[in-house]
Amino acid sequence: MKRLLVLWAVFATFCLAGTASVAAAAELRPFSAGSLAAIQAHFAGKPFILTLWSLECHHCAKELQLLGRLVRENRNLPLAIVSTDSPADAQALRAALKRHGLAQLDTWVFADAVPERLRYTIDPAWHGELPRSYLYDATHRREAHSGLLGEARLTAWLKQNGN
Amino acid sequence: MILRTLLCCTLAGFAWAAPVRAADHAAHRQPAAPVKSVTKSAALAVGAALDARGHLWLARVDKGRLKVSRSEDSGMLSDPVAVTAESEIVVADGENWPKIAVADNGSVHLTWLQGLGKPMAGHIRYARSTDGGRSFAPPVIVNDDRQEISHRFDSLAIDGKGGVAIVWLDARERKDRGVKGSPETQVGLYAALSSDGGARFGPNRKIAGHSCQCCRTGLTWTADGPVAFWRHVYGRNIRDFSIANLKEGALRRVTDDDWLIEACPHHGGGIAADGQGDLHIVWFTQGSRRQGIFYRRVPQGDFLRGVAGTDFALGEPVRLGDPARQAGHPAVVAQGARVLVSWREFDGQHFSAWAMLSTDAGRSWGPAQRLADAAQAADYTVPLIDARRALVVWNTAAEGLRVLPLREGTQ
Repeated sequence: MKRLLVLWAVFATFCLAGTASVAAAAELRPFSAGSLAAIQAHFAGKPFILTLWSLECHHCAKELQLLGRLVRENRNLPLAIVSTDSPADAQALRAALKRHGLAQLDTWVFADAVPERLRYTIDPAWHGELPRSYLYDATHRREAHSGLLGEARLTAWLKQNGN
Repeated sequence: MILRTLLCCTLAGFAWAAPVRAADHAAHRQPAAPVKSVTKSAALAVGAALDARGHLWLARVDKGRLKVSRSEDSGMLSDPVAVTAESEIVVADGENWPKIAVADNGSVHLTWLQGLGKPMAGHIRYARSTDGGRSFAPPVIVNDDRQEISHRFDSLAIDGKGGVAIVWLDARERKDRGVKGSPETQVGLYAALSSDGGARFGPNRKIAGHSCQCCRTGLTWTADGPVAFWRHVYGRNIRDFSIANLKEGALRRVTDDDWLIEACPHHGGGIAADGQGDLHIVWFTQGSRRQGIFYRRVPQGDFLRGVAGTDFALGEPVRLGDPARQAGHPAVVAQGARVLVSWREFDGQHFSAWAMLSTDAGRSWGPAQRLADAAQAADYTVPLIDARRALVVWNTAAEGLRVLPLREGTQ
C-alpha cells in the first residue's frame, strides 16, 4: 500500500501543479476508467479525433507534429490527446506537447497501475500499438486506426466532418 | 471463491505453483498492488533459464541492480548475486527483459538493456560468470556505436561450447528525423559474436537494415549456427517477420500476414530450435491475412546453411489463445522433440498465463492450459523446458514470482 500512497501523492501534486499554473494554461489530466465517457460527453453531437500516444513510441512524435500544425491552422480542432505513459512522466509529456505546439490543449495521461485496463475501456480490440487514433463522427460512430494517420486522410476526414 | 491451487509452497522469493483449474479462475480479492511506475510493468520483467542439471536460474532487477539467483531443489532460491556492481537503469518493462543463459561448464551469460535516461536511448550490456554464478566480471557495452540513441531489444544465445551470440535493434544509421523521413526505417538488426565464451566479441555486424523499431528480437542456436528472428519491414510498411543465420546473413521471410502499419507494434515474437534442428516461431500480428498470436514450424533447410536459391516449406500457422481476450506476447522454447509455447491473456480486468506443449516437435499439440491468474500488473510469461519438465515463470505485481509447471501426460 505504501507505494500506492506515494504514487497518489505524486499524482496529487502533479494535479495541483496543473491547476496552480497560469489560469489560461491547459491541463494534463489523469485518464481513468470513466475518462473516455467524459471526453465523449464533452464532444456530444460533434465529431472529434481521439489520439493515443507515448513518449516511448517512435512514430508518435511525427503524429504530434502533424496535429500541432493542424491546430495552428485551426485552433478549434476537435481533438482529445491521451498519453499512455504515466503521471510520473508529466514533465516530459508537457515538454513534448509544448514542442509540438499542443501545450494549449487539455490532454490526458493514463493513470492506472494496470494500464491495459484503460486500453481495454477504450477498445478491447486494441493491443496497444501506437499511435492509435479513433475518428468519431457527429453520431460518435468511430473508425479505429493504428499507426500514423497521415495528413491526407486527416484533412479529408476533417473536411468531411465540417472542419 | 477460494483460489486453492496457488502457492503450493512459498519459499525464498518465489512460489512453485500448481496449475489453476479453469473453474477456479476469477477469484481475486487481493488489494491493489501498485507497480513502481504507474503505467509500465517496470522491473517486473525477469529472465529465466534451466541449466543442464535442471536448476532454475533467475535474473531480475532489484533497486537498480541486476541480480542472479538459482534454485537447485525446485524451491529455495540462492542469495542473489549482483551482476552490476554499480547501480544503473536496467530496463525490464515487457519487450525488454534481462536475458540469461547457462552453459554446461557452469558459465553464466547475461544481456540486458541499460537505459540512458531519455526515451528510447540505451546500450546493450553483457556480463558473464565463469565460476558458476558466484561472481560476475564487470559488464561491457556490446554496441560499438556509443551514441545515446536506440540500441535496444537484445537477444542472447549460446552453444555451450564457447559460442555466444547477441543481436539487437540499432538506430545508428538514422539520420533524418523529420516528418517526411526516409522510406526506410533506418533501424537494423545488429549482431556481436564471441567464440571464446564471451571473453571477447568480434566487431558489430549489421545483419539487416529496415527492421521494425520497437519489437523484441529472438535468437536461437542451431547446428548451423545462431539464427535470429525479428519483425522486419517489407516495402514501405509491411511489418512481417524474418529469420537469418548470423553466420550466413541472408534473410528469409517466415510470416506472410501482410501487416501494413506505419507504427511499431511493440509486440514481437520468439524462436527456438529443437533437437533435430527444426525451428519453431511464435509471433503477434494484426495483418490483413491473420490477426492474433500464432505458432509455426519452420523445418530446417538448406537456406540456413546459406545455399542460394533453396527454399523450405513453412508449416501452417497455428492460432494460440483467445483473440477476444487479447492473447499476446507469446514465447517458445524447445528441447529434443519437446516444444513449449506460452502466452498471456487479458479479460479487461485480469491477466492469465497460458501454455501448451508438443512432444513431437510441433506436429501436434496438447491442450492449452491456463496456469495462473494475476490480480494486478503482470510480466510476460517465460517458458522453460528440459527433458523432464515444462515450466512457465511468471512475475506479477500482486502475487510475486511464480514457477508454474504444466500438467503432462494429458495429451
